[in-house]
Amino acid sequence: MILTGILLAVLGLGLIGWFVGRGRARLLYHGRGSMHSMPPYHGWHVALWIVVPALLVWAAWSAIQPGLVEGALMADPVAAALPADTMHRSAILAEAHVLASDPGASVFDTEAQELAVPLRALQVRFGVIGALLVAIVAFAGGAYALTRVKARFEARTQVERAVMGVLLFASLVAILTTFGIVASLVFEAGVFFRQVSPIAFLTGTHWSPGNAIGTDIDGNFGAVPLFWGTIYIGAIIAMLVAIPLGLMSAIYLTQYASRSLRKWLKPILEILAGIPTVVYGYFAALTVAPLVRNFAATLGMENPSTESALAAGLVMGVMIIPFVSSMADDALAAVPRSMSDGSLALGATRSETIKKVLLPAALPGIVAGVMLAISRAIGETMIVVMAAGAAARLSANPFASMTTVTFQIVQMLTGDQEFNSPKTLSAFALGLILFLVTLVLNIIALRVVKRFREAYE
Amino acid sequence: MSNPHWQSAAAQKRIAKRNAAERRFKAIGLGAIVLSLAFLALLLVIMLKNGLGGLDWSFLTGSDSTDADIAGVWGATKGSLLTMFVTLVLAFPLGVLAAIYLEEFAPRNRWIDLVEVSINNLAAVPSIIFGLLGLAVFVNTAHLPRSSPVVGGLTLALMTMPVIVISGRNAIKAVPPSIREAAYGIGASKVQTTFHHVLPLALPGILTGTIIGMARALGETAPLLMIGMRAFVATPPGGITDPSSVLPMQIFLWSDEIDKGFVQNTSAAIIVLLLFLLAMNGLAIYLRNKFEVRW
Repeated sequence: MILTGILLAVLGLGLIGWFVGRGRARLLYHGRGSMHSMPPYHGWHVALWIVVPALLVWAAWSAIQPGLVEGALMADPVAAALPADTMHRSAILAEAHVLASDPGASVFDTEAQELAVPLRALQVRFGVIGALLVAIVAFAGGAYALTRVKARFEARTQVERAVMGVLLFASLVAILTTFGIVASLVFEAGVFFRQVSPIAFLTGTHWSPGNAIGTDIDGNFGAVPLFWGTIYIGAIIAMLVAIPLGLMSAIYLTQYASRSLRKWLKPILEILAGIPTVVYGYFAALTVAPLVRNFAATLGMENPSTESALAAGLVMGVMIIPFVSSMADDALAAVPRSMSDGSLALGATRSETIKKVLLPAALPGIVAGVMLAISRAIGETMIVVMAAGAAARLSANPFASMTTVTFQIVQMLTGDQEFNSPKTLSAFALGLILFLVTLVLNIIALRVVKRFREAYE
Repeated sequence: MSNPHWQSAAAQKRIAKRNAAERRFKAIGLGAIVLSLAFLALLLVIMLKNGLGGLDWSFLTGSDSTDADIAGVWGATKGSLLTMFVTLVLAFPLGVLAAIYLEEFAPRNRWIDLVEVSINNLAAVPSIIFGLLGLAVFVNTAHLPRSSPVVGGLTLALMTMPVIVISGRNAIKAVPPSIREAAYGIGASKVQTTFHHVLPLALPGILTGTIIGMARALGETAPLLMIGMRAFVATPPGGITDPSSVLPMQIFLWSDEIDKGFVQNTSAAIIVLLLFLLAMNGLAIYLRNKFEVRW
């Protein structure tokens, strides 16, 4: 609470500093060319000197304050009487923290009640120390900056240097995110692979993490059925739907449709891409899955399951249509007009031109688009969670229930288990594989697209 | 048609065949579009048919409940709004600043190439991976409260930022160099030129991209599932650290219920979510048409 107050106070001080700095600089201003920087820049310079160092101290203090409070609390005689058992002890401490922030809360342990009083006192004491530190730094920074308000002082250069720092930091966040993804996946997957051998994981064909206890642990973490399910649903069934429909829509829109029709049809088709996946998942489970099941029954299958690879794959394919269509659209548009004009001039019909000239010329771009579409399909989660089922099996029967990598990640992480069990950690290993596969697909596809564009320029 | 050879019955037949193939091909193309749009129409009609009956005031103002009749979406909607607020506050400034840096200031070197590659790849990483990141970093390492809008918003912000950066760069690139040269000509520094002239002109394009990115984040479920935003929350969250649910998650949770009454609720919640998305995309299109300048 105190910490939030300090944050607001620092920002308020910065605002005051801005006005004071600008005011002092204005006194120095006597017409054009009398100063290096305009007064507002002096204001910014002062404000930055107040806010930035103070916030750094604030951040450092909020990081170490809980530790300091904890240490001081342990020195208290009440804390010395706490049970030695760590579980019980931390439970009492947690309750004391709740009580300290909200005196009206009801708690279990009487010890917590006794602890809450010194805890609150300590929190206030260290909060005040922190506030004083921050205030000293803020005022010192502000005073230093104010002494530098002079006609020849290059405040603008200084402020612009700070702006550049902020811009650089913002663009580094992307690298940090990538690094964070890789680090967290590799770290957790590393813990997993210490317990389960990577070879058994990548080549085993039996997946039942629920039974994985003791010595038989390797045998129950064979992820091949998951990889197969992912490829079967995302890269085979979904693409069988999305490639023909997406490609033909793109051909019709770019080659046949009139300008006004295209203007209307394209955005409507794009709506398919904007519908949230959870809606597709619900639609797959509610409408498509029963249809597929009935169809399987009429084909003479016994007890077809309501969850099927076909239902999930079909709906996923529809979701991907606009994506394939717009990639194909770009690829077709990149082919020089002279090529199709040449073919038409020789007497070929439009469809012959498209099939024999345009498509072969645009093929690399289309293939890259399909690769991007596959990387999207295999990373798709909600549709398979709601429609594909949990059974890990190696089967080519589209009416069978099948599971995917993303489904298992969700399954492993949404139960109530220990975070460090191999079952939970396997989700990170699966995530790592998924990340690597999509990364490779994306890099290859983007490179192909780039080459392809350059070839026709 | 002077060549008598073309008049022969065989040639006529061949031409007719080729024309028929042409018509067939065109019909297949139209058919592909019609089929896709029919699927869209079917989806919308089924949701409207199932859900419209459930859309009433008590549904829009209620929170989750085990009883389908009194369950409503306000709790989840509020969770979504809080999450989107956190996402926007983080992703918009960071995305815009990164776009400005990469487009206007960045030196051409290996580091900047690395930044560009990682932004382009992040835009294509499956959303569930961001959920794993959020779980490992924000929940397990930083100990932020599980299932809260602050963690959800942080996770979605990381996901949305690359989208904003990419659209922002395109918008900045579209501002013609003459604007910059005019500003330099009257003595503006590079930072002044960028913030006083280029950024305001690029802003409509950046906003359009931001709204589209936010619409995608609003409909996202998988990463939030990872950080545990699937709790049963019967009261609307009071702040960004309270446990909460979001609209797509509410849809997912209700779709699992066995009680028939929840079919109507799920569809009605889908209608609410789609209306939100429609409004956001409509706003994006409006902004684009109203402010886009063709140089």
